Amino acid sequence: MGYQNIFTQVQVRAAPDMGVPMAPGSWSRDGKPFFSWLMGKIGEAQIGPFYLGRLGLASLVLGFIAFEIIGLNMWASVNWNPIQFARQLPWLALEPPSPKWGFTLIPPLAEGGWWIMAGFCMTTSLILWNVRIYVRAKALGLGTHTAWAFASALWLMIVLGFIRPMMMGSWSEAVPFGIFPHLDWTAAFSIRYGNLFYNPFHCLSIVFLYGSTLLFAMHGATILAVGRYGGEREIEQITNRGTASERAALFWRWTMGFNATMESIHRWAWWFAVLTTLTGGIGILLTGTVVDNWYLWAQDHGYAPSYPSTGVIDPATLPGVVK
Amino acid sequence: MALLSFERKYRVRGGTLIGGDLFDFWVGPFYVGFFGVTTAFFAILGTALIFYGAALGPTWNPWLISIAPPDLKYGLGFAPLREGGIWQIVTICAVGSFASWALREVEICRKLGIGYHVPFAFAVAIFAYVSLVVIRPMLLGAWGFGFPYGIFSHLDWVSNTGYQYLHFHYNPAHMLAVTFFFTTTLALALHGSLVLSATNPGKGKVVKTPEHEDTFFRDLIGYSVGTLGIHRVGLFLALSAGFWSAICIIISGPFWSRGWPEWWSWWLDLPIWRQ
Amino acid sequence: MNRLAFITAATGAVLLLSGCEVPVHTTEQTGYRGTGAQQVIRTSLETKLRANNVVPAPPYDLPKDEGGPRAATEYQNVKVLGDLSVDEFNYTMAAITAWIAPPEQGCNYCHNPENMASDAVYTKVVARRMLQMTRNINTNWTSHVQNVGVTCYTCHRGNAVPKYVWSETPDRFASARSIRGAKHGQNTPGQNSVALASLPYDPFTPYLLKANEIRLQGVSADRDGTHRVPIANAEGTYGLMMHMSNSLGVNCSYCHNANNFQNWSGSRPQRAVAWYGIRMVRDINNTYINSVRYIMPANRIGPMGDAYKTNCTTCHQGVYKPLYGVPMLNDYPGLRGPHPAVPAAATAAPPPPAVKTAAAATQVAG
Repeated sequence: MGYQNIFTQVQVRAAPDMGVPMAPGSWSRDGKPFFSWLMGKIGEAQIGPFYLGRLGLASLVLGFIAFEIIGLNMWASVNWNPIQFARQLPWLALEPPSPKWGFTLIPPLAEGGWWIMAGFCMTTSLILWNVRIYVRAKALGLGTHTAWAFASALWLMIVLGFIRPMMMGSWSEAVPFGIFPHLDWTAAFSIRYGNLFYNPFHCLSIVFLYGSTLLFAMHGATILAVGRYGGEREIEQITNRGTASERAALFWRWTMGFNATMESIHRWAWWFAVLTTLTGGIGILLTGTVVDNWYLWAQDHGYAPSYPSTGVIDPATLPGVVK
Repeated sequence: MALLSFERKYRVRGGTLIGGDLFDFWVGPFYVGFFGVTTAFFAILGTALIFYGAALGPTWNPWLISIAPPDLKYGLGFAPLREGGIWQIVTICAVGSFASWALREVEICRKLGIGYHVPFAFAVAIFAYVSLVVIRPMLLGAWGFGFPYGIFSHLDWVSNTGYQYLHFHYNPAHMLAVTFFFTTTLALALHGSLVLSATNPGKGKVVKTPEHEDTFFRDLIGYSVGTLGIHRVGLFLALSAGFWSAICIIISGPFWSRGWPEWWSWWLDLPIWRQ
Repeated sequence: MNRLAFITAATGAVLLLSGCEVPVHTTEQTGYRGTGAQQVIRTSLETKLRANNVVPAPPYDLPKDEGGPRAATEYQNVKVLGDLSVDEFNYTMAAITAWIAPPEQGCNYCHNPENMASDAVYTKVVARRMLQMTRNINTNWTSHVQNVGVTCYTCHRGNAVPKYVWSETPDRFASARSIRGAKHGQNTPGQNSVALASLPYDPFTPYLLKANEIRLQGVSADRDGTHRVPIANAEGTYGLMMHMSNSLGVNCSYCHNANNFQNWSGSRPQRAVAWYGIRMVRDINNTYINSVRYIMPANRIGPMGDAYKTNCTTCHQGVYKPLYGVPMLNDYPGLRGPHPAVPAAATAAPPPPAVKTAAAATQVAG
C-alpha cells in the first residue's frame, strides 16, 4: 500500500519562523521556539513563539481565577481531602444559587455567590479572548472571521449562563460547573421542558453539528486525497486554481452532482459551524420563556408522532383517590 | 452538457473496479459506473418501499411518516411486510446503496488519480449506520432493536433507547463521541475562518499568505498545526466522532445492560481509594 | 518502539474490555415496535436473581379452621391476630419466627419466655405494628400489591432488619455560610440511591416520606406564568426514578414512553401501579414505621435519629415483582386481613381494583 498522506515521513528543520511583522506599538512575541518531532508527524513541528499582550494577559488571569474558584470550591466540598478530591472529581460541582435566591445579583458566597463569580470571570475572560482574536487578526492584516465565529459560540454560552436565567428570574436555571453534574443538568433540562428533541431550534442545531462533522470529514479527506497535487496550499489554490482544486471539485461534482470551490467550501464550513451554536442558543433561550413543554408544542403544531394508546388513566384524576 | 470550464480534460476512460467500459460514462454531472447502477437500483427500490410504507400509514406529513422495525418476537427472521418487513427490506437497500455509493467514490478517485480518503471516511459513517441497524440488533437477537425510519419517530427511539440505561450521558464512549463532535465543530470554525480571513482581508487589502495564517495562530495559542496538519486533524476528529458513536451504541445492551452511571463504580473501587 | 506501543495498546484493550458483559441477554418489548421500548437484562444476572428470590416453604401444613377457640380468647394480650384460630395463630407465629428472628433466639427475639403475653421486649410492640401494617397493605393497597400481597418475608427475607432500608442523611452543611463539606445533598459518587449518578442522593425524604410533588412538566405548550417549576425539581424526580428503576431491575420504558414522560395514555399500566406504590410507601413510612420510632433502641435508628424506613428496594430487591410475583400470602390468610366471624370454606381473595383504563371507564359510564 502506498503513502496515504496521514503522517509526515520526512521532517525538515530550519531556523524557526518568527512570524510576519505585526502592527507597531504592540508588545513583542515571547518564547524561544522549539520543535516537537511528534507534532511534526501530524502538522507543523514548531512550538512558539507566543504573543501575550494586554488582552491576553487579562484574559488568562481571569480564566485562571475562574478555574481556581471552581476547583477550590470542589475541593472544599470534600473537606479539603486530596484523595477524595481525586476520587470524587467527576461527580463534584460548583452549583448556581438555589431557586430561593431568584436572580439576586450577589447571594452569599456559599449559596451560589462563588458560582456567579466564577461565571463572571470565565465569561469576561472569554470575551477578552475574543477581542484579542479580533485585534490580532487586524494587526496582521487578516479578516476578522475567527472573532465572529467565536462570538457565535459565546452567544450560546452566555444564553445558558446569564441571559436565560435572567429572563427566567432565577440563577438556579443555569448550568453547574462539574463533569457529571452538568450532564445531569442537561437531562433534567430536557425532562423539565417536555423533551428537547421537539424543539425545532434544537433540531436545527443538531443538523448543523452533524453537518459540520460531515463537512470536515469531507473537506479533510478531500484535501488529503489531493495532497499529491499540493491541495493543502489552499490560499494559492484559491487565487490561482490548480489541478488540486480542479480534481477536488470534480470528485464531488461527479459524485453528487454539484461542488464547491476551494474558497466556497470554507464558507460552507464557517456557516455550518457558526449556525450550530447560533441556533442552539436561540433554542435554549425560547425554552421556558416562551415554550413550557416542547412535546405539547409539537402536538399543537402537528408534528408529534402518535402511537397506539395504552388506555391507562391518570390515577390522580379518579374520583375518591387519595393523592 | 453542463461541464465546468476545466472539466473536459479530466473526463477520461478508466479507473473502474467492475464492468470495464460498460458503465464508464456520465449522466449530466453525475458519474455512473457499475456502482452508480447498483446505487440507483437500491435507492429507487428503497425509496419506493418507503413511499409504500407511508401509503399504508395514517399520514403523508413528512415529519410524521415512519417505517418501523418488527416486534422483537420475530427475532432475526423475516417479518410480514406490514409488520416490519418493509423496514427490513429498506434497510437492506440502504446498506446496498451506501456501499455502492462508497465503491462508486472509489472508482471516481481512481479515475481522477487522487487518494481514497473520502470513501474511507464515508465507510466510517456506514459503519455507524450498520452498527445501529445490523450489528447491535444481531447481538441482541432481534431486528426490532433497530431504529424507525421517520424524522421525529427516530428521535423517540433515541430517547427510549437512551433511557434504557437510565442516564445515557454517563456512557464513556458517548462522552468521547460528543467531545469529538463539539471539537470537530470548533476546529471547522477555526479552519474556515482562518482561510477566509487570509483570502478576504477586507476592502482594499491584499490577500495574505500561509505565513500569516501560521503567525496568527502562533500569536494566539503558541502553535499552528499548518495547512496540511489541520486537514489531518479535522478528518481524525470527524471520524473519531462517528467511530465512538458506533462503539457507544454497540456496547449499550450487548456489553452493558445496567444503568450507565453504575459503570463508573470501577473508578470508585480502585484499590488506592476504595471504601 | 513498535513492540512497546503494541503491548501498551493490547494491555489497554484488555483492561477496557474486561468491564464488558458477555453478550447473552433476555429481552422484552414494552412498547410499540421501533420506539426503543425494550428491557434488556443479562441472562446470568436474571438466573442469579431467580435463585435469590425463592419463596420458602411454610413451617408445616396450615391447619384447617374447624371453628374452634380464637387466639384472642385462649391467649392474653393478642390485639391483632386475635380472630385467628389457635392453630392458625401458632402456625403464623412459627412462620414469622423463621422469617425474622435470628435462629439462636427464636421466639425469644420478641417474647419473654416466662410470660409470652408481655410487651416488655420492644420487638414485640414493633411486630404488632408490623402485623397491622401488613394487613393494611393487603386490604387497602391492593391497588399496588394486587392478588399477590405481601408477607413479612417480602421485606425481611430472614433478617431482623430488612436488608434494603434507608434513613435520613446527615446535613452536610457546617453552616449556611460555609463551603466546607457542603455538597447540597448531591454531586457525590457511590450513591446507590440514585444508581450512582451525581443527582440529589436522597429522593426518599421528599417523595417517599413527605408528599412533595413528583410531577414537573407543564401541561400546556406555551408558558403562561403559572407553572413555575425549577430545573432542580427535575433532578429530584429523576433521582427518584433512578431509584425505582434500579429497585425493580427495569429501565424507564417499563412504565413510560420517554418521548413524553407525563402522558398517561402513552404509559403502561405498570406506571399506575407504581403511582399507588409511592402512596403506599408513604403510608408505611409515616403511619406505621414512624409510629414505633419511640421505642427503638440506638442500634435500630439512623445517624439522624430517625427510624430505618422503606423504599421500593425494600420489597422488590431488584425484581419487577417481589419474589417474582409468587402469591406467598395465600399460605398465610391471617396476614391478609381480619377473618370473617364464621370460618367459611377457603375463599379466593377479593379481586383487586383493576388499574383504570379508558375502556373500563367507558364501560362503567355506559
